[in-house]
Amino acid sequence: MSEREIIEKKSGEHRETANTSHEEQINLLQSITMEVAAASDLSSALEIVLRRVCEKTGWELGQAWVPNRDKTLLVCGPVWFCGEADLKHFRAVSEKSHFQPGVGLPGRVWKSKQPVWIEDVGDDPNFPRTKAAKAVGLKTAVGIPILTGDEVIAVIEFFLCQSRSENERLVNVIASVAAQLDLAIERRTAAEELSRTNDILRSVLSNMGDAVIVADKEGKFLVFNPMAERMFGTDALQMPSNEWSHRYGLYLPDKASLFPHDQLPLTRSIRGEEVNDVEIFVRHEKAPKGLWTRVNGRPLRDLNGELLGGVIVCRDITPIKEEEFFRAGQSRVLEMIASDAPLADVLTSLVLLMEGQAEGLRCSILLLNRDGKHVRHGAAPNLPEVYVKAVDGAPIGPRNGSCGTAMYTRKPVVVTDVMTDPLWADYRDLARISGLNACWSTPILSPQGEVLGSFAMYREEKRGPRPEEARLTEIATHIAGIAIDRLRQQETLRERDARISFAAESADLAFWVIYPEQNTAWMSDKGRVIYGFDSKLPLTRELLVSRVHPDERAAVRAAFDRACASHGIFESEHRLVLPYGKTRWVIVRGRCLEDEHGSLLELIGVTIDVSAQKESDLQLQIQREELAHLNRVALMGEMTASVAHELNQPLTAIANNASAARRFLERGNVDPLLLPQLLQDMVADSHRAGEVIRGIRALVRKDKSVVRSVLNLNAVIADTLRLVSSDVLLCESVVTTEMDHNLPQVEAAPVQIQQVLLNLIMNSLDAVEALPPAERRIIISTRSLNGESAEVSVRDFGTGLPKDRPDKVFDHFFSTKQTGMGMGLTIVRSIIETHGGKISAENAPDRGARFFFHLPAARGDSKSQAA
Amino acid sequence: MGDRAICMTSSEKSDAEIVCLVDDDLSVLKSIERLLASDGLSVRRFNKPKEFLTYVQAHAVPLVVLDIWMEEMSGLEVLAQLGALSPSTRAIIITGREDPTVKLTAIQSGAVAFFTKPFDDHQFLNAVRGALALHPIE
Repeated sequence: MSEREIIEKKSGEHRETANTSHEEQINLLQSITMEVAAASDLSSALEIVLRRVCEKTGWELGQAWVPNRDKTLLVCGPVWFCGEADLKHFRAVSEKSHFQPGVGLPGRVWKSKQPVWIEDVGDDPNFPRTKAAKAVGLKTAVGIPILTGDEVIAVIEFFLCQSRSENERLVNVIASVAAQLDLAIERRTAAEELSRTNDILRSVLSNMGDAVIVADKEGKFLVFNPMAERMFGTDALQMPSNEWSHRYGLYLPDKASLFPHDQLPLTRSIRGEEVNDVEIFVRHEKAPKGLWTRVNGRPLRDLNGELLGGVIVCRDITPIKEEEFFRAGQSRVLEMIASDAPLADVLTSLVLLMEGQAEGLRCSILLLNRDGKHVRHGAAPNLPEVYVKAVDGAPIGPRNGSCGTAMYTRKPVVVTDVMTDPLWADYRDLARISGLNACWSTPILSPQGEVLGSFAMYREEKRGPRPEEARLTEIATHIAGIAIDRLRQQETLRERDARISFAAESADLAFWVIYPEQNTAWMSDKGRVIYGFDSKLPLTRELLVSRVHPDERAAVRAAFDRACASHGIFESEHRLVLPYGKTRWVIVRGRCLEDEHGSLLELIGVTIDVSAQKESDLQLQIQREELAHLNRVALMGEMTASVAHELNQPLTAIANNASAARRFLERGNVDPLLLPQLLQDMVADSHRAGEVIRGIRALVRKDKSVVRSVLNLNAVIADTLRLVSSDVLLCESVVTTEMDHNLPQVEAAPVQIQQVLLNLIMNSLDAVEALPPAERRIIISTRSLNGESAEVSVRDFGTGLPKDRPDKVFDHFFSTKQTGMGMGLTIVRSIIETHGGKISAENAPDRGARFFFHLPAARGDSKSQAA
Repeated sequence: MGDRAICMTSSEKSDAEIVCLVDDDLSVLKSIERLLASDGLSVRRFNKPKEFLTYVQAHAVPLVVLDIWMEEMSGLEVLAQLGALSPSTRAIIITGREDPTVKLTAIQSGAVAFFTKPFDDHQFLNAVRGALALHPIE
């Protein structure tokens, strides 16, 4: 229908307006409602209402007003004309007008929210557009509000060029139509609202960093946002859920096993489960290295709780996981260091860890030799072997590649192009082998700042390190520093340990620790050998004590207890009895260690096996006794005169008496008084001979020679002189004694003291032999030294002792005699010293030699004798 | 007391038959006296050589049995002085120690016999008888 046709039709209907039937009103209402429902927005809906009302009522002009955004003014909205009158002028004026609440027709309707009827706008005082209205001949006007709830969302007004009084029915019809408009607008707004929400949601889903997937009960994807497409490498592909893992590359954290489809978060959420923080490794064509996603899922239900499907949100946690793995990798390397893995393995693991952190990165670690001048290979698992071998042993210096220079200057060296950098002048051929162009090296320092080596990064691209690579370098040099420094320390410790244990092994030392709290003990291997413990036997203090000889066990245990109680030291010399009855002599020294609170922590100690020493001591003692015995036998030999004479005298007497008795008897004139006397003398003489033999035997016997008793040295001297009297006689010498009668008694072995005296006297007899008989004098004297010891002096008037060192006579094998063994005085000294005494020799002021020895007074004897 | 009895018996005889005995060992001295007594010889004992040297100057002593090793003075020394004091006195030496040098010196000094203790009673008594120019014991 053309515009002209419409206008003609309307003009024909003018007359009918007031008489519009009820039916027609309902028809109008129905058609408007339907049309408005189809309108796309408020403007077009208003336009429909204006046109339809004008068409049905024959009014010439309809126009709408809507509140501005802040609802302070009404502004001109859509318009509908249907008269011949030139209404455009009025329209133009209206378009320039706006009304505050209560002003003009629209303002009055807006404010009152009621329809307003004006019979003639030319007479109305509150109609600002009067002039324009008159100009186009408009007379009657009606304004009707359009309300949504209590709010006026628009005002529509209609004009007629005739003056007409208020027609309530007409107003009601128009109001009814307006009410339809209101409903339609409300509906439209809700749809618009929904559409806008959908737009927002779509935008959010498109732009959010997480993948969101929604599927219905059948597993059909309803939402599969762009992030999901990116994450899973493809857009939503409809397929049975048991193919999802395979199709989208979903793996368990082992990166190898496909994720079981019935355990997939989406499957579970469709089943109605809540799924929290499930980690899935995803690998597909577009992400060949794979990525990690953490998935949360929820079931979807309608308002009645009916299950509709499921939704999952997947977050890409690859960077977090990589950092986690990197940290775990660092921990692994540190664990290797802590468990003393070989340095080469540690450094190789470290290099591989670093290389795994960035694409195209290769690393190496070089060590600085202990000479501080050359490099040694550390680890470079992905550099050519030829290159590695060539670098091994190279010198460091100010222009020695990246690493040699870094170690030399102790500063990081960044070479972005090894082919042109002057530092690599001597190493370009090597660089060519590696096929790498950039090499950045950082020195590895010990905690003390000592250069241990270098960590280098190589790249094909000619560039310097990026911040993340600088960070890796920092971590790598730190860890490598720990590893190398620890190894060095351990080498030092091992060397020291080796020296100590070598010393300990050689010295037959056992180290042990007793932990009183735990009732356990530790012992070095050598210690277990000394104590005869199996190398695996768990030890306790009591077990250690059980090895002690039964005679000494209680004392050792008590000493242990004392040391533990006082936190003091433990010292003991005792025997150990080993299984199979072997005995060892040991010296044990221990010390208590306290913790910071002063509680007893442990008893540490050392046990020294002195068996060998003890045995040699015993051996020495036996040898000494043997020698002493030999010396005594030799003395007997020298004392032949005395021995023979002393025995001959009584034997001669016996023989003579016996002969005499026989002869008296033969002659028959036995003197009855004589015979008993004679026999008694024979008995006495045989006793006398026995005494001599006993004396000789005592001197020559081996046993009991060391048995000590309390002696008066004066008496021993007298006995000895009797023994040698014949030799003194034969020598035509004179022995004089000068005895101190207050001499303290001594505790000594009489045989040994006699031996000492015999040696000294026989020596003196030899010394005076060459002198004229009148000068062959020997003086034996005794004296008390403050009652604390007894001194014996044997002095001759012979030629004296060697001038430079009189004491030399006590040395082994020193002899002035042709037949002497040179052992006598050595034995004499050893006898005196084992008695706790001292012997000296000197030349007397005038002439001759003087030997003197002193022995300590017997215990408890010094005072009584001195008093 | 018995000792004195023997001396008393001996003193009844002439000095010419009395044998002087010098030894510092009393036990040996008594035993030799008894041995000589068992052969009917009288004996004068001297425990100290010097006492004998004094005695010999005042008495005719046909024979002295002399010990060598004595504390005061050796028998050899006594023998040496005897040659001057009483050249007629014969001497028999008894010694506890076999010593060729001593024996040689003794023989050279005029000793008629030399015995090492202990000695054979028969030989000893014969030597004594010989020195006294008595019949030897058969």
